[in-house]
Amino acid sequence: MSTELQKPRSFFNNPRNRALIYQILLLLGLGYFLFSIVSNVLANMEARGIKSGFGFLFTTAGFDILMSLIPYDATHSYGRTFLVGLLNTILVSVIGIVLATIIGFVLGIAYFSKNWLVRKFSIIYVEIFRNIPLLLQVFFWYFAVLAALPAARESISIGEAVFLNVRGLFIPALVGEAGANVIYLAAIVAVVIVIYLTKQSKKKQDETGAQFPIGRVALLILLGLPIIATLTMGTPFHFDYPILGRFSLSGGTTIIPELMALSVALSVYCGAFIAEAVRAGIQAVPHGQTEAARSIGLKERKIMTLIIVPQAMRVIAPLLNSEYQSLVKNSTLATAIGYPDLFTVFVGTSLNQTGQAIEIVFMTMAVYFVINMTISFLMNLFNAKVALSERK
Amino acid sequence: MKEFKPLPALPAPKDTVGMGVWVKQNLFPNLVNSMMTVLIAGFLISVVPGVIDWAIISADWSGTSQLDCKKDGACWVFVSAWMQQFIYGSYPDEQLWRINLALVVLVLVIAAPNVLQKELRNKLGVPMFLLYPFVCAAFLDGRMFSLEYVSTDYWGGFSLNVFLAAASIIIAFPLSFLWALGRRSDMPFVRSVCLILIEFFRGVPVLALFFMGSVMLPLFFPTGTSVDKLLRVWIVLILFMSGYMAEVFRGGFQAIPQGQYEAADSLGLSYWQKTLLIIFPQVIKVSMPNILATFVMLFKNTTFLLIIGIFEMLSTTQTALSNSNWLGGHATEGYLFVALVFWCCCFSMSMISNSIERKLDTGHKN
Repeated sequence: MSTELQKPRSFFNNPRNRALIYQILLLLGLGYFLFSIVSNVLANMEARGIKSGFGFLFTTAGFDILMSLIPYDATHSYGRTFLVGLLNTILVSVIGIVLATIIGFVLGIAYFSKNWLVRKFSIIYVEIFRNIPLLLQVFFWYFAVLAALPAARESISIGEAVFLNVRGLFIPALVGEAGANVIYLAAIVAVVIVIYLTKQSKKKQDETGAQFPIGRVALLILLGLPIIATLTMGTPFHFDYPILGRFSLSGGTTIIPELMALSVALSVYCGAFIAEAVRAGIQAVPHGQTEAARSIGLKERKIMTLIIVPQAMRVIAPLLNSEYQSLVKNSTLATAIGYPDLFTVFVGTSLNQTGQAIEIVFMTMAVYFVINMTISFLMNLFNAKVALSERK
Repeated sequence: MKEFKPLPALPAPKDTVGMGVWVKQNLFPNLVNSMMTVLIAGFLISVVPGVIDWAIISADWSGTSQLDCKKDGACWVFVSAWMQQFIYGSYPDEQLWRINLALVVLVLVIAAPNVLQKELRNKLGVPMFLLYPFVCAAFLDGRMFSLEYVSTDYWGGFSLNVFLAAASIIIAFPLSFLWALGRRSDMPFVRSVCLILIEFFRGVPVLALFFMGSVMLPLFFPTGTSVDKLLRVWIVLILFMSGYMAEVFRGGFQAIPQGQYEAADSLGLSYWQKTLLIIFPQVIKVSMPNILATFVMLFKNTTFLLIIGIFEMLSTTQTALSNSNWLGGHATEGYLFVALVFWCCCFSMSMISNSIERKLDTGHKN
């Protein structure tokens, strides 16, 4: 050992000591910062006469909400408004995610179509809708398109069952009577059978190579069982049709224009991004895969569904994850057109009435965190599944 | 010996050349595709002439008030009458040169680091870039330059979108780089603080952050101090942008081969020398397309400020639409104009990002 190394080094030359000092400094700085914020907040709240705490959740809200999936009226508590808003947020997010995924996959695959017109259409769609602010699109659908629909008297109607007017889309509601449960049960049983059959047929194909026409059989079971159940029970439900009254419609289910505008805007906007992701994923699959598939004589559509898309999913899945999360976060734009989602109801009206800024903003943020973490968790499961089909 | 005579080349098969073949192959290759072609073409034929007629042929182009719109088509008078508001907000007429000057300087400041020589770039370009937001804000405000004072209540329009987005990304640059460094640091406390910051600002809807800025931030400052609304929004935008950019930088760090760090260490460079001289230039290079994509997102998201009452461009449009002299239903014209402006900016930025990607692709792939 050389003497130089044994020379006692200065305290600060030891990276470990330095790291410790930096971290202590950061801790002190952060501690001071948080302390001053907390003391400022307490002083400010006292000055404004705001009482902190979650007691407000149990007091009567006293305002109406445009649309609610659970029974709600002005006598319910703020806690209930939170729940109503949360359900509305989940509703618009699920609609948006489903539609955006369909739009995205169709247009992403259309980019590789043989058809020149289809190809150009996909490119133009993506470039237009990706580059226009989402809020502007929401406004466009709400104020320019849906507001231009006719009044209730001159509703656009399809077979006197579906009505579209400036107040929303009115569709017949399905009302179950006694015995309807049997049908739901039949549907569930059908799904279970189909899942079991799919697994069995895949296993059989892996073992023997024999193919079972699972697609047609599944369709038959999924449609057949509930239909048989319906017929044997003597159709235990009826449709509640909307009826055109003097000034408005009564009965049926109403889809309010706010919900329509928001879900259309969200799915059109996020659909463009998902189309980009799908395109990138497909492009990431080496061309040799297509050529190999062609050389073993697969048809073009089978090449897409059996060879390309499963491999592209490895690239697409993480991108889908972040697109879904941004869709949920962007659904807060509901507040701009007054769709009663969590943000509008809770951060908007409830905060204004109670002044509990900190509790409400943090509760809302926590909810979006949880929703996004759930999406992330589910998509990671999905990701693990598609990643497994990688080379073993 | 018989002389070899090649046969004359055959003409190309009839079914591979010509207009008709292209149409057959690209528009009607099979039944499904033919149906789609007919569907899309039918859609275009039924929609496009109507749109052109509405937007150009039977549109009104000149005039000053709604009464000048006499034809059936679009009323572009609405856009031209409100043009100054759309771009400058309610900034005083005689002071508009300040906004124009600031916009020109912004272009120069962005161009400078790319054009200047290396020495000049580090000494002049980078400080100019980092100082621009503060100088620009003070200049538009006017008090520090002994110009006429213009309160932030009068700032607005498209120029405000541009200034806010630019000022936020410029400050977010160094901040997010620090966060990204912290996230990959060996010090556990530093790492977890940075991780929490990044995940918080990425995981929360930007609207919730804006609300936090407008209803919660005032509670954070000492009692009695009032902080300008625009300043609070700016802080929120910086933090929001930093969260996203830190992730972009993290991706960039991961793309740098480990050998670069080891080579820098073996040269005996200190941590900051290694980071700033060796790693940073390479990280910037690989992350540039993603930084631009993030910036496009931020730029589009500045329209969300409408909801907390900042008079950016979309908000100005909403005001114009509800003006009592213009209640003729000009929503489509107004939105189309705003959409066009944003689309041009965002689309050209994504084009720039593509070209940078191609230019920087110097083949560092393994």
